[in-house]
Amino acid sequence: MGSMIAARDSSSRRKNYTQIILYGILICFLLFIPLFFQSPYVLHLFILTLVYIIAAASMRFIMTSGQIPLAHAAFLGLGAYVSAVLSKHVGLSPWLSLFIAAFVAMGVGIFISFPFARLKAFYYAMVSLFFGVGLLQAIESLGKLTGGLAGITAIPTLFNTASKVPYYYCFLALTLVSLVILYRFEVSRIGWNLKAIDQSYLVSSSVGISEVKYRVLAVAIGCFFVGLAGGMYANYNVTLSPSSFDSSVTLWMIIYVTIGGMNNFSGPIIGTAVLFLIPQYFSGLKQYAPFISAAILFLVIFMFRNGLVCIPGLLMAFYKRKKSTSKSR
Amino acid sequence: MILEINGLTKNFGGLTAVSGIDIKVNDGEVLGLIGPNGAGKSTFFNLITGVIPPTKGKIIFKGKDITGKRPHEIAELGIGRTFQLNPLFPNFTVLQNVISSFQIRPRSNWLDTFFNTPVYRKNEAYILEQSLEILNLVGLYKVKDELAKNQPHGYQKMLGVARALAIKPSLLLLDEPIAGMNPDEIDNTIEAIKRTSQRGVTIILVEHNMKILEICNRVVVINFGQKIVEGSPQEIKENPEVIRAYLGSGHDTKH
Amino acid sequence: MAESTILLIVATIVNALVLSSMYILLALGFTFLFNIMGILNFAHGVIYMIGAYICFYMATVVGINQWLALLISVAVVGLFGIFMERFIFRPFFGNINSIIVVCIGLITVLVNAVAISQPYNVQVTPAFVQGILKVGIVSLSWQRIVFFLIGVSLLILVLLFINKTKQGLQMRAVAQDLEGAILQGINVHFVSALACVIACALAATAGSLMGSYLSLTPYMGNDIMIKVLEILVLGGIGSINGVLFAGLIVGTLDAVLPIWLSGTATQAIMMLIIIVILLFKPQGLFGKEVRA
Repeated sequence: MGSMIAARDSSSRRKNYTQIILYGILICFLLFIPLFFQSPYVLHLFILTLVYIIAAASMRFIMTSGQIPLAHAAFLGLGAYVSAVLSKHVGLSPWLSLFIAAFVAMGVGIFISFPFARLKAFYYAMVSLFFGVGLLQAIESLGKLTGGLAGITAIPTLFNTASKVPYYYCFLALTLVSLVILYRFEVSRIGWNLKAIDQSYLVSSSVGISEVKYRVLAVAIGCFFVGLAGGMYANYNVTLSPSSFDSSVTLWMIIYVTIGGMNNFSGPIIGTAVLFLIPQYFSGLKQYAPFISAAILFLVIFMFRNGLVCIPGLLMAFYKRKKSTSKSR
Repeated sequence: MILEINGLTKNFGGLTAVSGIDIKVNDGEVLGLIGPNGAGKSTFFNLITGVIPPTKGKIIFKGKDITGKRPHEIAELGIGRTFQLNPLFPNFTVLQNVISSFQIRPRSNWLDTFFNTPVYRKNEAYILEQSLEILNLVGLYKVKDELAKNQPHGYQKMLGVARALAIKPSLLLLDEPIAGMNPDEIDNTIEAIKRTSQRGVTIILVEHNMKILEICNRVVVINFGQKIVEGSPQEIKENPEVIRAYLGSGHDTKH
Repeated sequence: MAESTILLIVATIVNALVLSSMYILLALGFTFLFNIMGILNFAHGVIYMIGAYICFYMATVVGINQWLALLISVAVVGLFGIFMERFIFRPFFGNINSIIVVCIGLITVLVNAVAISQPYNVQVTPAFVQGILKVGIVSLSWQRIVFFLIGVSLLILVLLFINKTKQGLQMRAVAQDLEGAILQGINVHFVSALACVIACALAATAGSLMGSYLSLTPYMGNDIMIKVLEILVLGGIGSINGVLFAGLIVGTLDAVLPIWLSGTATQAIMMLIIIVILLFKPQGLFGKEVRA
C-alpha cells in the first residue's frame, strides 16, 4: 500500500532505481534468448519454465495468506484439460479456450475455498491435497473427453507453425503481464491484508479484515493464473496426461517457492528457473539425474535458509564487512 | 446506553464459562470488569466480539442486535478490542501494524486499490497521517520502523491499543491492558486510556490490577461466569463478597 | 448364509485388522515426531520402504532367517533415525516449508537409489510364518494372525512406554511445553532422538511385515504416506487416541471398499469421506478445539 511504501526507510528509493535497472537488463536478456539459443529443445525448456513460473508465483500468492494449496498442480491440470477439451472437442479458438480455462479454474477455486476456509494450516494443506488427488481422478475418469490414463493428444495449438519462437515471445508476454498483476496485488492493501491474516486471523478480524473473504480472494486469483498457465501448457504441448499434474508436481512447486525464497516476490521466479533448468542440463545422466535435483535442494536449504533471493543480500553484507575490516587495518 | 447484554451464556461442552450475565454500559463511561483467573472475563470479550458464538442471550449495540455476527462485522460497527496474548502482527513494523489496522474508515474499493488511483493514494496518505498521530498518542512514535515482534512486552500491549484505535471505535474492549507492565509503562498506559476516554470513546476493561480501578466510573465483578457485584470502585474495594471471591478461590498476588 | 459369504466376511475382517494395525504403527511414529519436535516427517513412507527393502535383502540375498532380517532392518533404520534427527530435522525446527523441501530431497534420493539398485519392479519377502489355521469351514493363514498380534503387542508396548516409563513421561512433557521441559532439565535432544528412533523402528517393522503381506516396490512409501496423512487429519493431528480410532476406520475402509470398487475409486471415496468429515469437524475427530 502506498503509505506502507512511504513508511519504509529512505534508502529504499535508491534501491528501487537499482532494481529497475536490473529488471530492464533481465528483460532485454530474455528478449534475446531465441537469438542466443537456436536449438528448439533449449527453447522448449525456456517455454516450460515460463509456464511453471506463473504456476509457482500464483502458488506463492496463495501461500502469503497462510494457506498451503496442495491441489495447485491439479488446478494446473484442470486449466490444461479444460482448454484442451474446449479447443479440440468443442472447436473453440485456442486463444479463447485458454482464458475460459483460467476462469473455470478460478470458479472451481472459489467454489471449494468457501467450505475450506473453515480449515486452518495443516488441515487445509491436507484437505487440499486430497481434493487435488480427487480432482485429477475425476479428470481421468472422464475417459471419453480426456482420454483417461493415456491422456489427450492432438490438441489444437496457438500458432500454425513448427517454430517455437512465437510461443516463446507470446508466453514471455503473458508471464510478464501475470507477474505484474500478481505484484500489484501483493504490494497493495490486498496483499498486506493477506499477510495480516497469515500472521493472526484473530487480530486481523478484530480490525475488520474478513478472513473468509480474503482467503477466498487469494485462492481465486491464484487459481486464475494457474488455470491460465495450464491452458498455455495444453495448447503449446499438444499432448496431455494426468501424470504431469499429480501431487508430486505440487510438491515440486512448493520447492520452487521455498528454494527461491518464500518471503520475496521474485522467490518463485528464481527458484523455478534454477530448479527447472539446471537438472535439465544433467538429463544425460538418465536415472541418476534426480540426484542432482536433490543435491541442489540440500545445498540451498542448508546454506541459504531464506532461499536463493537472499544471496545478493548476503554477498552485500560480506562485501561491506570485508571493506570495514580492511579500513580498520 | 451504548451496549446492553441480556442473559449472556456460554457452555463449552459441560463447562459453563459464562452464565446469564446482564450488563448495561452507558455512553462515554469507563467500565471495569474484574474477577479471579478463569472467571470468564476473556470469554466474555470473545462473545461480544463474535469470536465465539454465545449459547444463549442477546448482545445489543447502539440499539442493534449483534448476537452471532462475525468478528469483522462487529469491528465494522465500531467495537475495537485488544488481546491478552499476541496482540499484533509480529512480522510487520510497528507503523505497518497500525496502518494495516485501518480497514474501515476510510476504505478503498478493490479497483482503486489495484490500479493505485488518486482516490486510493489519498486514502492511504490520510491513513499514514492518522497512524502517526495514534502512535504519538500511545507514545510509540520513536519505534515506528522496528519490527513489532522485537518490541518489549509493554510496547506490544500499547501497540494493541493503537491498533484497536485505528478502527475509530465508539466502544473499546481492553483485555488486561496493564498486565505484566512495569510502573512507568502502567502510568503511560493509564494516561493513554484516560485521553482516549476523553475523546468520547466508551471503554470496557478487564484487569486484575486494582490500580486501574481508579480510572473506572463503574466496576463489575465476575466469578464462576456470574456477575456477583456491581458498583463504584470505592464500593467494590470494601465489598466483603469481592474480598471473599479473591481471597477464597486462589488469592491473586498481583494486587 | 452362503459359505463363500462367510469366508469373504472373515477374510475381510482379518485383512482390515492387519492393515489397521500396520497403518497405526506408522501414524503413531509420525504423531510422535509431530508432538515432540513439531516436525511433519513427509519422508516417513520412505523410511517404511527402506525398512522393507533391508529386510527383503537380508532374507533373500544374504539368506538369513526372516525374523533376524526383521531385527536387523529395525536396528539399521533406527540408527538412521538418530542421523535424521541430528542432521535433517533439528536445523529446521517448526518451519513447515523447509521441512517439506528437506523431506522431498530425502525421498528423491532414497527412492531413486532403491529403484536403481532393484531393477525388478515387484518383489515379495518370503513368508514369515507358514501354514494355515482351520476353524470349521474358515481357513486363515497363520501369517496374518501373527502380523496382527505383532502389531497389537507393539502398540501396547509403545503406549505402556509413553505412559509408564520415565522417558515416556519426559516425552509427554516436551510435547506439552518445550520451554518448561528444558527448564526442568530434560535433555530435549535425547528425547527427540529417542522419539525418532521409535518412529523409525515402528516404520521399519511395518515395512518389513508388509513386504511379505503385500509386495515391495520402490514407490510403496508414497501410497502408505497418503494413508498416514488421512489417518492424521481424520483423527486430529497430535492426538494418539485419534490415531488409534482413525487408523481403524481407514484400515477397515481400505479392506472393505475394494470388494465393490476399483483401486482408484476406493482412494477417491476415502478422500471424499475425509473431506466431508473435516468440513464438519475442522480439527479432526479428536483434535483440540481452538478456543480463541
